Amino acid sequence: MAHRWGMVVDLDKCTGCEACITACHAENNIPTVGAEEAARGRAMHWMRVERYWEGDFPDVKVKFRPVLCQQCDNAPCEAVCPTYASHHTDEGLNAQVYNRCIGTRYCANACSYNVRFFNFFNPQWEKPLQLQLNPDVSVREVGVMEKCTFCVQRIKSGKSTAKVEDRSVTDADVQPACAQSCPAGAIIFGDLNDHDGRAARLAHSPRGTKLLEDLGAEPNVTYLQKQSWYEPDAQ
Amino acid sequence: MNTMDRRRFIKVTAITGTTAALASCGNPENQIVRFIPEEEILPGIAVWKPSVCPLCTAGCGVSARVMDGDAEVFRKGQPGVARMGLVRKLEGDATHPISQGRLCVRGQAGVQVTYHPDRLVGPQRRTGERGSGQFTEISWDEALTMLVERLDAAVAAGPAQIAFLSRPRRGRRHELVTEFLRRLGAPAPVTYEIFDDAVLRHANELSFGRYQLPTFDLARTRYLVNFGADLLGTWNSPLAHSVAYGAMRQGRGGVRAKFVQVEPRLSQTGASADEFLAVRPGTEGALALGMAHVIMKAGLKPADAAGRAGALVDGWSAGLAAFTPEAVAKDTGVSVARIERLAREFAGHAPAVAVIGGAALAHTNGLAQALAVNALNALMGSVGTEGGVSFMPQTSAPGRPARALREVLAAAPPQVLLLDEANPVFAAPAAWKTAAWLRQVPFIASFGSFIDDTSMLADLVLPDHSFLESWVDSAPESGAAASVATVAPPAMRPLYDTRSVPDVLLEAGRRLKQPLSPAMPWQTFEEMLQTPLVPEASPVAAVSARASAAPTPIAWRTPELDGNPGEYPFHFLPFASQALLDGSLAHLPWLQELPDPLTTAMWSSWVEINVAVAERLGILDGDIVEIASAHGAVRAPVVISPGIGPDGVAMPAGQGHGTFTRYASGRGSNPFAILAPVSEAASGQLAWAATRVKVTKVADADGSLILFAGATRERPDHTRGRG
Amino acid sequence: MSRSKSSGFAWALIASLSLVVAGCNGWSNPSEQMQAERMARPSRWGTPAVYTPANRSVGEAVRSHFGARAEPQQPFPFSHKIHLDKELVCTDCHEGVERSPRAGLPSINTCMICHSQVATDAPLIKQLTATYEKGLDLPWQRVYAYNREAHVRFEHAPHIRKGVECSTCHGNQAQQTVAVRAVDMDMPFCVNCHKQKQASNDCLTCHY
Repeated sequence: MAHRWGMVVDLDKCTGCEACITACHAENNIPTVGAEEAARGRAMHWMRVERYWEGDFPDVKVKFRPVLCQQCDNAPCEAVCPTYASHHTDEGLNAQVYNRCIGTRYCANACSYNVRFFNFFNPQWEKPLQLQLNPDVSVREVGVMEKCTFCVQRIKSGKSTAKVEDRSVTDADVQPACAQSCPAGAIIFGDLNDHDGRAARLAHSPRGTKLLEDLGAEPNVTYLQKQSWYEPDAQ
Repeated sequence: MNTMDRRRFIKVTAITGTTAALASCGNPENQIVRFIPEEEILPGIAVWKPSVCPLCTAGCGVSARVMDGDAEVFRKGQPGVARMGLVRKLEGDATHPISQGRLCVRGQAGVQVTYHPDRLVGPQRRTGERGSGQFTEISWDEALTMLVERLDAAVAAGPAQIAFLSRPRRGRRHELVTEFLRRLGAPAPVTYEIFDDAVLRHANELSFGRYQLPTFDLARTRYLVNFGADLLGTWNSPLAHSVAYGAMRQGRGGVRAKFVQVEPRLSQTGASADEFLAVRPGTEGALALGMAHVIMKAGLKPADAAGRAGALVDGWSAGLAAFTPEAVAKDTGVSVARIERLAREFAGHAPAVAVIGGAALAHTNGLAQALAVNALNALMGSVGTEGGVSFMPQTSAPGRPARALREVLAAAPPQVLLLDEANPVFAAPAAWKTAAWLRQVPFIASFGSFIDDTSMLADLVLPDHSFLESWVDSAPESGAAASVATVAPPAMRPLYDTRSVPDVLLEAGRRLKQPLSPAMPWQTFEEMLQTPLVPEASPVAAVSARASAAPTPIAWRTPELDGNPGEYPFHFLPFASQALLDGSLAHLPWLQELPDPLTTAMWSSWVEINVAVAERLGILDGDIVEIASAHGAVRAPVVISPGIGPDGVAMPAGQGHGTFTRYASGRGSNPFAILAPVSEAASGQLAWAATRVKVTKVADADGSLILFAGATRERPDHTRGRG
Repeated sequence: MSRSKSSGFAWALIASLSLVVAGCNGWSNPSEQMQAERMARPSRWGTPAVYTPANRSVGEAVRSHFGARAEPQQPFPFSHKIHLDKELVCTDCHEGVERSPRAGLPSINTCMICHSQVATDAPLIKQLTATYEKGLDLPWQRVYAYNREAHVRFEHAPHIRKGVECSTCHGNQAQQTVAVRAVDMDMPFCVNCHKQKQASNDCLTCHY
């Protein structure tokens, strides 16, 4: 059976530490835009941590939520792309093909999750910072839209390794950088069609919800809701 | 270490001219010297090499992803291109007991230390006025001659004429430095970091006989009360804590431990808590004693269960009569009912553990606060047990530092100061006048890889390899159940004409006129690392042996804040930045552009102010305010925050460097500049959370607060917009 | 796919032309001048101080858009024919090809494995030995490379594992002296082969 890649984010474990963000930057050659451009709203973070404040001091609470491309099955970004740069793969990935992208930014407008980032200018790495670039991932140029790929290069290399070793792909072969780095283990990635896999099991957890579910985009990222204290005798 | 010998080097210099002729393409990259690769590496294939993250003292083992690439390098002073294995990414080492395959946000950015565009590429000598930043490149031979001459003269002048100042380091590198100084007849190295936890170590020595930071078994605890420590962000061993936190939340069927955070401002760690208790600054320990009072009074635990740790607290054996919930409620601002409920829940859910750290200890009563929490843990029987607090066996004896920086600054300046990455000009209160003292030191040699606020004053710069380019080791004091010491070889070859600090010291030692006595037993750092480590036999034995003397009870003290409350109405809380720590990582662009978890601020300083206070003072988000203490003033944009009370303002550390590479120089402002030079009473440590300030709006928002725009819901409604 | 090919093509053309212009000028950008200065200021290696995918000039942008490329100028007239005639095989020097995405260009160390002893009297080998003794490597230039903006992530190893001959894409090197571009690796070339061999033609197979 074909793979269907999906992610589960356990909000009860997320501490908002943002290790996933730097992991993503390092893995995916995401440029640093600098203070001036960041002030103009052009900072690029395929992965971000949102925070939701509830209540007033001192009875105040915060909830963190890591947000990345939800790899929607019914993705609004795909329908509006005039060049098929944004399209759906057989494995459930919402692909962004840079060489087809002509920078209309329709997709970023259509995306309900605000996870697409446009290259307003050519990225720069002040030498020798370019030595940190991952040779397995493109460096995108001006005029191109980009976003989380579920670390498609890792998916590809995991599949390739399994093929060489003549076995089927397991979740351990394919871990995106954010899931691999997450200190608390809040990000779980895997094949949703592998029903015994951890990701597939957790995706059906009663705690599971989808972000802005009522929009009907059918995301492939499931958020497990934060819980409160439970003990046999807890109030 | 370099494979290119002198003969080959001479030949390389001789033919530079001809190489350009060899390559005829117009591309300038093809016209520079291309060295023969020093290693054969298969192109396009990632190799994983072990290393150790040195960015904080947690000592995490990392795994470096090495792939081939063309790097612009220096070989024996000669610029050129070499194909070599380059570290592309850092990840946690799955076999390492502290990092357990994970890596924190700062550790992952560590790769940018090696590839930083402003890294020093070789030794330099000061040419301009001191502090002018004018240096000229010299050879290692000249540099070492200069260093040795100064050391010789200082040795002749007297043993106290040499000082070594570094960041806190644990492990064999620090051991080597200590040995070098001892054999030179110089005083032991001085370490400085503003957020150092010396008060807690001091308290732990009194309570448990261990001058050491504690390790917490969060994965198996059922109830966690955290008094102010940024446990999941920047404090102690944050990565190990976070891994265990994941298990504490969703790792056990049927039990999801309760996590209570007690602090004046809701921190990133507090954000993950089930319950947040806002207390007045410096009264966390009073709450702990109040809880102990309730537990003992209700007969849930007997007073003597706390043993020595309890006996250290004045009034403990009498059931802490002064700490009734009513009295504690008055002190802390937490209601009586809540104190009683908290105490009963804590007592009823063993294993339960209490943690104290960070700002809670940076008060004039820091030691009393720490002793209170130690006693609470001891009362619950949570010391050295599953789900409690323990002390990791060490590979080197946990010892007190010989001198604190403050004592050194109070004494006459030495003739020679060796500076190893510490940056007190930035990270010590301006009131300490560190820069003025440094200017009186006749000779300063700096080993750091960057020119920062302090190394700007150096006369000689002897840049270190980056940690990925040299042998590295760590011997953390906490973070795992068993003793951990990590040693790793270089993950890649050095890019530049730099040298590893231990090797420079060994070389200097060999060149001294008056030889080291006795001579150092190793020729290289690598050789030293091959000698075996001896872990402690049993940490428990150490506790009982050292804790046998009868304790003298220490009375609770109320915290004293510097500044008259009439003139300076707000408590000032500086806090370690999740990205930049104390500012030592402000030079890394990934971390500068990392949105702060609670505010989304990037590239900026900010001040957090309570919603009602902002309304009262007519301050809107992004407006510029002046924060003034009796010792100075800083300006920064405001973030109106629901997480801070009406009596305080908070400001992240990290920004405000005068000089620290192109990414941090002149950016934002430094909260340490306005700290009152007050100390924790018993240990003499800087009480960095004991300053009062006033807040004045000085300008409308000017765009200096940079927030990350992307979010489905960005800020709470009541802080949005103007008017 | 119902959308007409021609409209897609028109879009692509407009976009590419705008890229040609943008490639060297960048979109309006306040720090543009600073960036331009930084790019102009060379590093201590005499190379640009900044790495960027931007084209360095309008000319370079136009050339790259139309796929025009300068013939590689090799530092040394290496003959593939002579070596293959001596029964060497491709993988002797291009070591990565069976295991790695990249075949790799050999360093002078590889040359010297044989030429420290073989044909040491030949003038070219003397030149080679002299370079080696100076501690220098040969700055080989790539013969085959995709346009950067095509974002092709070709991997050698899976193709070799499937038994694709080197010559399919690189021509018969046994008949070439200095390697020249013998096959035009455009997208139809790749896609046709993928179709014939029933390999995936999903965009993400090659472009990411």
